[in-house]
Amino acid sequence: MAGKRAAKRDGAPGDMVTVVLPVDCRIGAQAALQAELSEALQGCAVELDGSQVERVDTAALQLLMLFRRASDARGGTLSWRAGSTVLNDAASLLGLSRILELPAVGPA
Amino acid sequence: MGAVDLSQFHKTFFEESLEGLDAMEAALLALDSGSTDHELVHTIFRAAHSIKGGAATFGFADVAAFTHVAESLLEEVRSERRAVDAGLTDLLLRSVDCLRAMLDRTAKGQPAADAGSEALRAELTALVEGEAAATPAAAKDSAAPVAGWEIRFVALPHLLQTGNDPLRLFRELQQLGTLEVVRAFVTDAAPADFAALDPGQCYMGWELRLHGAVARGDLDAVFEWLDGDCELSIAPLAAAPVAQAAPAAAPAPIAAAATPATPAAVPVREATASSGGGEGGSIRVGIDKVDALIDMMGELVITQSMLNSIGENFDLSQLERLREGLAQLERNTRELQDSVMRIRMLPIGSVFNRFPRLVRDLERKLGKQVKLELQGEQTELDKTVLEKIGDPLVHLVRNAIDHGLEMPEQRRAAGKSEAGTLTLDAHHEGGNIVVRISDDGAGLNRERILAKGIERGLVKPGQSLSDDEVAELIFQPGFSTAAQATDLSGRGVGMDVVRRNVRDLGGSVGVKSVAGKGSTFTIALPLTLAIIDGLVTAVGEERYIVPLISIVESLRLPADAVRRIAGGGEVFQFRGEYLPVIRLHRAFGCADAIAEVERGIVVVVEDEGQRVGLLVDELVGQQQAVIKSLEKHYERVQGVSGATIVSDGSVALIVDVGGVVRLGRRSKAA
Repeated sequence: MAGKRAAKRDGAPGDMVTVVLPVDCRIGAQAALQAELSEALQGCAVELDGSQVERVDTAALQLLMLFRRASDARGGTLSWRAGSTVLNDAASLLGLSRILELPAVGPA
Repeated sequence: MGAVDLSQFHKTFFEESLEGLDAMEAALLALDSGSTDHELVHTIFRAAHSIKGGAATFGFADVAAFTHVAESLLEEVRSERRAVDAGLTDLLLRSVDCLRAMLDRTAKGQPAADAGSEALRAELTALVEGEAAATPAAAKDSAAPVAGWEIRFVALPHLLQTGNDPLRLFRELQQLGTLEVVRAFVTDAAPADFAALDPGQCYMGWELRLHGAVARGDLDAVFEWLDGDCELSIAPLAAAPVAQAAPAAAPAPIAAAATPATPAAVPVREATASSGGGEGGSIRVGIDKVDALIDMMGELVITQSMLNSIGENFDLSQLERLREGLAQLERNTRELQDSVMRIRMLPIGSVFNRFPRLVRDLERKLGKQVKLELQGEQTELDKTVLEKIGDPLVHLVRNAIDHGLEMPEQRRAAGKSEAGTLTLDAHHEGGNIVVRISDDGAGLNRERILAKGIERGLVKPGQSLSDDEVAELIFQPGFSTAAQATDLSGRGVGMDVVRRNVRDLGGSVGVKSVAGKGSTFTIALPLTLAIIDGLVTAVGEERYIVPLISIVESLRLPADAVRRIAGGGEVFQFRGEYLPVIRLHRAFGCADAIAEVERGIVVVVEDEGQRVGLLVDELVGQQQAVIKSLEKHYERVQGVSGATIVSDGSVALIVDVGGVVRLGRRSKAA
């Protein structure tokens, strides 16, 4: 994961930066994720990959939502390379599906 | 929440709730007597609130529903929308009683609500609704399940740190009905800079709608653990007012509220069954007592290692050190024992606390004025003793108010203040706890007692009795008749029961009374039932232990000091009075014992003011005896209260002084 991130970030400004969400994407992983996202925020386009996510909690969804907000405020673009059922379910339960614009993975 | 077996916490919930109710009652009584301390209202509110929360969490829907209405009422008092008056305190005190009964039934696995509790709940609801059209707090609870709920839930930043996750909460809500997230929003607490925010904090709030016929209690249960971690407001969905319009006191909502309790009752019953008898309860111990215990343990370990080092290369030159070590060991053991015993000790205040209420109720019922004074509430005694002394004390207090204290006019006529004084006082006296219940009333009515004694055949007509002997009559089993025994507060009624209860605890009860000045009942109780300080005596081959607290004196008598009296009894003169002699070897059938009085030792013992001399062979020494029940291991033996193991490893019987004294009185009377 770290390797992937490093490779992407080396690209010139304006390039798409991909951040891969960890398998266990719960409160304990948020500080690292936040650091990663903060860096990604410096670029213009960020792509999130949630395909590996198996466990998620409110802290994670909140961070993504706040990231979305921060990214929008900067006029950046945020897109999903892939989502996951777990993410979709949680986002829908918390009423965050719309703001996060998660891609459909089966029935959301 | 469903995954955790909550029944393990039921006992704690009941204990804490009962404590809460005690606090509530005390605060209500303080309010009732004119205190305007606002903190009292908070205390009452907090107690109700935590009982409600706990009950909802554990699925005791009836209790939760009842407390909820009471809480709504209290909320109005707290926010000063409702003034406290006598009617309100009275209603709330009755609610406290009702809740106690409900908790009791719940603990037994019975349905908590009954007709009485429902009627009271309706009364509370009516009061809340009557003046609170703007706050439909009670209606939303007591009405039948509504069409749904509108929930505004704003997390406080630390919410996630408490292990609570809104995601999980929402899943639970989904179990109850159809959950609709109307709006999710970010709170003002969120920093604008993404890099500056703390991902462990929660910055979100939600407006939710839960559709479906969801009971308020179930909803509260979901949010119960979040007390203090979020801002929460719950209101029935806008479609609900139709349901609200129905008066809560109508039978239908009651039936609806009662239904959810039925499934909850089943696991409770199981839990009660598995926890066994009611007496094997738990105890709350102050941390200082536990620390003392650990300190003592440390000392013991040091002593042990010191003795070890002496033992490794022992020669006679170290004898002195060995002796010192053993003395230290003895000291440590005794201190450790004290500390362990102290763990079982609780302040008597917990029993005294029920009296302000009792006194208030009796005052109203009887039209008397009573000033209750409590002293020595901090005096500690063994938990078992404490639990069993409550009823006898209640009895004595009732008697004192009912029959001891006079009506205000009579008091005025007698030149006393209109309000009688009732004093409860507890203190240590030697190895005993002494509890005194004194009133400044009329005192025992000698003539009436004597007349009744003659009527009951306890006294022969024409027999002259001292005041003490007359007072003693009220404790006699035959003094009250069965017909009167149902009337709890008849003078003398059930006094024999009081005495028996106190005696079962190894204590004694007596009365002193001065006509026109009042009566004082004195209960002496042992500090603990588990250990006594005893004097080891030898009788033939046997060892008997006489409890130290009963011993007045030990003496050697010359042969001619003991006189035979008519009827075969023996007496000797001791400080101006004649005491019966009981030859222990004869009483207990010991062989090879000393029969000549001048060669043995007479131990003068006292029980409830009655003294006898016990003849034993010799005194062996003083020892603490851990009492083992003879009844449990063998059978009950008259005159023996238990057995113990003495230092040489043999079994010694502990003399039941009360039993032996009664034996002696009989032989004296014979």
